[in-house]
Amino acid sequence: MSKFQPVSFYKNKKKTYQLTPFRFLKFNQEKYFLSNMTGEYLLLDRESLGRLVEHRLDDSEQSYLDLRAKQFLIDDTNSIATDLLAIKARTRYSRLPEFTALHIFVVSLRCDHSCQYCQVSRQSADKLKYDMTEEIADKAIDFAFKSPSRNIKIEFQGGESLLNFPIIQYIVERSKKLNEVLCRNLDFVIATNLSMIDRDILDYCRLHGIHISTSLDGPEDLHNKNRPRPGKDSYEKVIKGISLCREVLGRDEVSALMTTTEASLKRGKEIVDEYLKIGFSGIFLRSLSPYGYAIKTKSFAAYQTEQWLDFFKESLDYIIELNRSGIRFQEYCSAIVLSKMLTSSDPGFVDLMSPAGIGISVIVYNYDGSVHPSDESRMLAEMGDNTFKMGNVLTDSYEQVFSSQALLQPLEDSYTNSVPMCEECAFEPYCGADPVYEYAMNQDYIGRRPESGFCQKSMGIFKHLIERMEADPFVKNLFMDWANRK
Amino acid sequence: MEGVVVQFDLGVFSVEAVKKAAYKYINKFSTDFALQGQSIVCSLIFTQNTPQDSIQFYIDDFRKEVLDQDLREKIKKESEPLRNLILAHAFSKTTLVEQ
Repeated sequence: MSKFQPVSFYKNKKKTYQLTPFRFLKFNQEKYFLSNMTGEYLLLDRESLGRLVEHRLDDSEQSYLDLRAKQFLIDDTNSIATDLLAIKARTRYSRLPEFTALHIFVVSLRCDHSCQYCQVSRQSADKLKYDMTEEIADKAIDFAFKSPSRNIKIEFQGGESLLNFPIIQYIVERSKKLNEVLCRNLDFVIATNLSMIDRDILDYCRLHGIHISTSLDGPEDLHNKNRPRPGKDSYEKVIKGISLCREVLGRDEVSALMTTTEASLKRGKEIVDEYLKIGFSGIFLRSLSPYGYAIKTKSFAAYQTEQWLDFFKESLDYIIELNRSGIRFQEYCSAIVLSKMLTSSDPGFVDLMSPAGIGISVIVYNYDGSVHPSDESRMLAEMGDNTFKMGNVLTDSYEQVFSSQALLQPLEDSYTNSVPMCEECAFEPYCGADPVYEYAMNQDYIGRRPESGFCQKSMGIFKHLIERMEADPFVKNLFMDWANRK
Repeated sequence: MEGVVVQFDLGVFSVEAVKKAAYKYINKFSTDFALQGQSIVCSLIFTQNTPQDSIQFYIDDFRKEVLDQDLREKIKKESEPLRNLILAHAFSKTTLVEQ
C-alpha cells in the first residue's frame, strides 16, 4: 500500500461546497478582486465569480482549487478551513485587547520653524506658557501606565520637543522608575527637527535608550522651502543632526519622515535619492493632512488626491527599479499595507485600523493636560475645535477619559463593517477608519465614500500594489519580503 | 428635474440591492426611487454639465452594479452563519466575548 493518497482521494466526492464569507469588487475590465475576512485575496473573472456563487464551479477547474486553497469555499476535502480562518482572524485582531501602546506627550507647542504645512498649530518660541509642566507630566505618566498594553511607547512631540528638554528628562526618569515595578516593555522616541540637538542631549538619549525621529522632506532646496527657519538652514541642521545621532546612538536609532507638498509632486525620484544619499534604508511617502496650519495656510488644498497618488506611484515604481538593480530600499507605507495583504498579521498602523486606531492604539497628552485620541484631533483642538477632546489629566480620571463620548461615538460610527460601502468593500481588510480625517473634511465621522479623499487615496494605493505584484514575479517576491520584514 | 428612468424587476432584485448600487454613484447622480407594481423605478438625475456619453456609461455601470449587489446578497446570506461561527471561535479564548 502506498504511503500517499491517490489524486482521487482529494476530489470533492459530494460535488457540493459551501461559501465562506468573502467580498468582491470590480478590479479592472477583466477581473474581479475577491478577499476574505482574513485578508487573503484572489483575482477572478466575472463569469467564474457568478458560477462560484451559484455553486456551478467544477472542482477540476484551477479557480476552484485556488479558491479552496485560500478557504473561500469549503468542500469535503478541507473541513479544517473553518479552524484556519478562525486562527487567522484571531491573529489579525490580536492587538485589540492590548489597547493603547503609543502615548504621545506634547511637551511644548513652541517651535523655531514656520513650516507652511505644519500639522501643529505652533506658538512662537518665547511663550513659556505653552510648555508641559511637571504636574501635568506626572498625571499623564500615570495615565500611560494604566493602559493594559504590555508595550508602552512614549513619544515626545511639539512644536519642537527639544525646546522643553528638561521635561523630557523628567518624564523618562519617572517612567523608568515606575517601570521597575510595573515591568512593561518601555520605549522612548523624541520627534525633533534636530535644529538644537547636541552631544549632551544625545549622550542622555544613549544612556536611556531613546530613539530619534526627524523630518527630511528631500533635497536641500525643497527641504528648506518646505521648512523655513531663521537662517534658512533647516536642511544643513537636519543633515548634521542625523550624522551626530548616528555617531552617538548608532545607525538605526534615528529615522526620518517626509511630507509631500505641492513642490514635492514632481520630485519623487530626487526625494528617494536624497534618502538613499543620507543612508536611510527606506522612506514613508506621506501626504498632507487636513489639520492645523495645513488648513489655515491652504497648503492642504494645494494639490488633489489624484496628484498625490501619481507622485506615490512614480516614487514607488522607482524604488522597485532600485531594488531590481540590487539596491535594497523600502517604502514603508506600502510595507504596512502589504503586511495586511500577504500575512495574517496587522501591524496596527493608526490610520488603517478598524475599529479606528484613535484612543485604542494611540493617545495624546497635550502640553496643557488635555487628552486627545490622536495627534490629528489634537491639531483640530489647537484650531479651536474640541470635538475629540476626551478630557484633561488634571481634572478627569482615566476611566472618565476613556469612556468619553468624544472617543466612543467616533469609534462606533466609523467602524468599517457598519459604514455604507466599507462594509461590502473587498479592500476593507487592508483599510481602516479615520473619523478625524472625515470630520475635518465633512464635519461628520463617516463622510460619503464615493466623495472621500481618504477612500480614494487608500483604494489607489491598494490597487497599485496589487497590479504591480500580479504583473511581475520580481515585485511579488519583493513585496513578500517587505510584508514580512520587521 | 426630470431624470433618466431605469427599472428593475422586484421579483429578481431586492430594493436593498438597488439602493446600495445607487449609493455607490452618489457623486455621479442622485436617485429617486418608486415601487410601481412589480418594478423598482429609479429616476437618475445628473447634473446639467454631465456629458451625454458619460450618462450612458453611468447607466450601464449602475445596472452592472445592481447585479453585483445581488451576488453580494447571496454570498452574505449563505456565509453569515459561518462568519459568526468563525468569529466566535476566534475570540472564544479572549476576554472580549462575554462568557
